[in-house]
Amino acid sequence: MALLDLLLVVGIIAGVYSLLAIGMNMHWGDTGLLNFAHAAFFAVGAYTSAILTTPTPEAGLLAERVVGFDLPVAVGIVAGTVLAAVLGFVIATTSVRLEGDYLAMVTLSSAELVRLVIHNEAWLTTGAQTLKNIPRPMESTVATLPVSYDVFYFLLVWGLVGVCYLLFERMSNGPFGRVLHAIRENDDVALALGKDVTQFKLKSFAIGAGVAGLAGTLWAHYVYAISPVMFLPSITFLIWAAVIIGGAGSYAGAIVGAVVIVLLRQVTRFIPGSVPFSDQMSYLRLMLVGVVLVAVLYYRPEGLLGNAERLQAGTSEGD
Amino acid sequence: MVLDPQFVWNGIVVGSIISVSALGLTLIFGILNFINIAYGDYMATGAYLAFAVNAQMGLPLAVAIAAGVVGMAAGAVLIDKLVFEHFRTSSPVTLLIVSIGIAFFIRNLIRAIWGPSGNFYDVPIEANPNLFGVRYSVEQLSIIVASLLLLTAVYVLLRRTRIGIAMRAASDDRTLTRIRGVDTERLVLYVWIAGGAIAGLGGIMLGLDAQIRPNMGFTALIPIFAATILGGIGDPKGAVAGGFAIGILQEVSVVVVPSEYKFAVALAALIVGLLLRPDGLFGEATR
Amino acid sequence: MTLLSVDGLRKTFGGIVAVEDVSFDVERQDIVGVIGPNGAGKSTTFRLLTGFHTPDAGTVEFDGEDVTDLSPDARARKGMIRTFQIAQELTGMSVMQNMLLAAQGHPGERAVTSALGIGGTSAFEADQRDQAEELLQLLELWELRDEYAGNLSGGQRKLLELGRSLMADPDLLLLDEPMAGINPDLTDRLLERILELRDERDMTFLFVEHDIDAVMRVADTVVGMHNGAVLSMGTPEEVQSDDRMLEAYLGGEV
Ligand SMILES: Nc1ncnc2c1ncn2[C@@H]1O[C@H](COP(=O)(O)OP(=O)(O)OP(=O)(O)O)[C@@H](O)[C@H]1O
Ligand SMILES: [Mg+2]
Repeated sequence: MALLDLLLVVGIIAGVYSLLAIGMNMHWGDTGLLNFAHAAFFAVGAYTSAILTTPTPEAGLLAERVVGFDLPVAVGIVAGTVLAAVLGFVIATTSVRLEGDYLAMVTLSSAELVRLVIHNEAWLTTGAQTLKNIPRPMESTVATLPVSYDVFYFLLVWGLVGVCYLLFERMSNGPFGRVLHAIRENDDVALALGKDVTQFKLKSFAIGAGVAGLAGTLWAHYVYAISPVMFLPSITFLIWAAVIIGGAGSYAGAIVGAVVIVLLRQVTRFIPGSVPFSDQMSYLRLMLVGVVLVAVLYYRPEGLLGNAERLQAGTSEGD
Repeated sequence: MVLDPQFVWNGIVVGSIISVSALGLTLIFGILNFINIAYGDYMATGAYLAFAVNAQMGLPLAVAIAAGVVGMAAGAVLIDKLVFEHFRTSSPVTLLIVSIGIAFFIRNLIRAIWGPSGNFYDVPIEANPNLFGVRYSVEQLSIIVASLLLLTAVYVLLRRTRIGIAMRAASDDRTLTRIRGVDTERLVLYVWIAGGAIAGLGGIMLGLDAQIRPNMGFTALIPIFAATILGGIGDPKGAVAGGFAIGILQEVSVVVVPSEYKFAVALAALIVGLLLRPDGLFGEATR
Repeated sequence: MTLLSVDGLRKTFGGIVAVEDVSFDVERQDIVGVIGPNGAGKSTTFRLLTGFHTPDAGTVEFDGEDVTDLSPDARARKGMIRTFQIAQELTGMSVMQNMLLAAQGHPGERAVTSALGIGGTSAFEADQRDQAEELLQLLELWELRDEYAGNLSGGQRKLLELGRSLMADPDLLLLDEPMAGINPDLTDRLLERILELRDERDMTFLFVEHDIDAVMRVADTVVGMHNGAVLSMGTPEEVQSDDRMLEAYLGGEV
């Protein structure tokens, strides 16, 4: 039973990471955009929903936050998703015309700026303190059911993963995705055929950021309490690892990659009893993520579910 | 508005650190043509190696600095042999992602060995002397002296030595150098030695100025990126100028911007710099 | 009626003057051949016309409207479609996807319509597939429709690019050496097809070609360029018998 509970928790985390990876795959896999701001979209989703759904804190010793709206969770989830998409759009506007590496640096820096704002604007976010008592959706209703809340949340998260998977697959395989793929392959061709490349890049950025924001809202409402240190750039890098390991360009791959990453990070939880180096375990697991990432790039550059043939066709002639 | 000379002094100190670090990053980029995300973690490694020699083994700081610099130069070569060498023909983006993997590995190795919390070097604590109303510390003076020595050394290396001249040529045009029969693998070796050593020194300087932490290098990356880009990525002279510009701008900005946001100044400089001058201050970017 | 009007175009790269005071008009349904030795400035002129370069001076008018300041994609949407001298196929996309990409005004290119398949997306898509099939048959690429474009031969890539630009149903098609590397039989059929399309779909063509025979056969007007400037302009016979053009070619070959 304890194992099942643990599996549910890990499964919920894996679902949240899957949503993050789906968004990243739209950026990198479909459009070829180097987005290193994912942690910021995740954070904005989480904080927006948390602030909207919690009441204004009572004046107290540490309660510096002066805003809170006490709105229904559904409103928070929608608003968090939308605001993250807007942030994606704004960040992209400053930088989407830049070449690959430059885009990476600017987006990474922008994400850090967002975290800095969250960290410093305590009136809005409780700052470095933990923003607590974030409500869980339908908690009282679920309490009357014969299943635990985690079962409900697991189904909710993976239901949303399923919906997003279907929608993103259809976008990617439809005419919209075709333009994104053309931009990934060669901007000039897309321009010559009349595609507004900048506009498509902005849309891709906003949509991918939106789903990362959705992941953030689900995260916030699951863990009750959030703080800026949950949204370090290492989240972004983990999601990159997930997308690359799963296979860039494949949404199924993005989900598999996210699950692999979460399992790598959580696997030692499943080992009962005390293990040697237990203090160091979490660090060793992250070292393992690094090793797996490099190994995949070397032995299977297309990733677990990526398309090797496409990669091959793309490089056969040089540039 | 009167500009407090203290801020300018602080800016020069911070600028020295950024300049040195940006120089290493830009040298690596010039030859290898990718952004090494693990660079910040190279810096941290240098700082921790020096910490081990200085605070844990009790040797003098000068010895520790030498150990950190040499150790990280060797480390950079080792990582190249173990990893990067197998990706020589890969695209810059693949290399960037490879470096993410390396960053994960190094940063968490540091945490596993030295723990997650902050440390300090074992340096005598003295009251900070005061000159013309500017407080300065021995650490700060050492930082500036070390950076000037390093910058001069690299300048001489790039201008006067055969390998340095080859490096500059390769950075300007890789294919050309290859056609002229320069052994690129040897260049790559030298650039990792130089880049690793400089990263190590940058990390130690950072640790002297503040604290030694596992993510110290990574969090310092953004102003370093900003300096590199502002100077024109791949251009050593530009990186140094960009480093001082960002450092001083950041510290002086506290007059107008809340100090929590001084880091945003680097970001603003980065974005504005990119949009206005994509080829860098001196327009000598490799691309 | 004048479709394209070029006036005083100039473009320099550093010290090199690539295009110097180029002016000419293209009438609707004309087939205009641009010839000239290597480095004459033909491709640069094409890039100036289609917005891939900004001119140092001069204007481009298309269909009575000044398009000099428009971006390449905006010009393409107005009906000016170009091909590239070196085929720019989208290597990681199939031949069919390359073709479908060119569809103009596709209702499914919005994220929402694409995700939900609404707004007439599938009907439009099906119609485009039919058109693509017809063109691919003509270009002898139909069997290869599911192949990645990156796996095509050099000649096939040029053909795909030609087909793709026809898919866009342009008013003015600018072709940069479309026949390079394509076997003569097929060239003949393509030239025939171009003549048909002009009448069927009211198309106008501007094409750079080193194959002088092909130019003589289909062009109504020929523009001869040399050293960035228009040296000679007129009917194919006039330009061919212009001594200055001959000199330019001979000089170019020394
Ligand atoms: N981007 C550029 N930068 C610098 N010089 C350029 C550039 N593009 C073209 N040129 C120069 O401009 C001149 C005209 O080149 P262009 O490509 O237009 O010639 P062309 O007539 O198309 O020749 P070809 O028949 O070989 O295709 C050449 O001297 C060329 O070197
Ligand atoms: Mg040409």
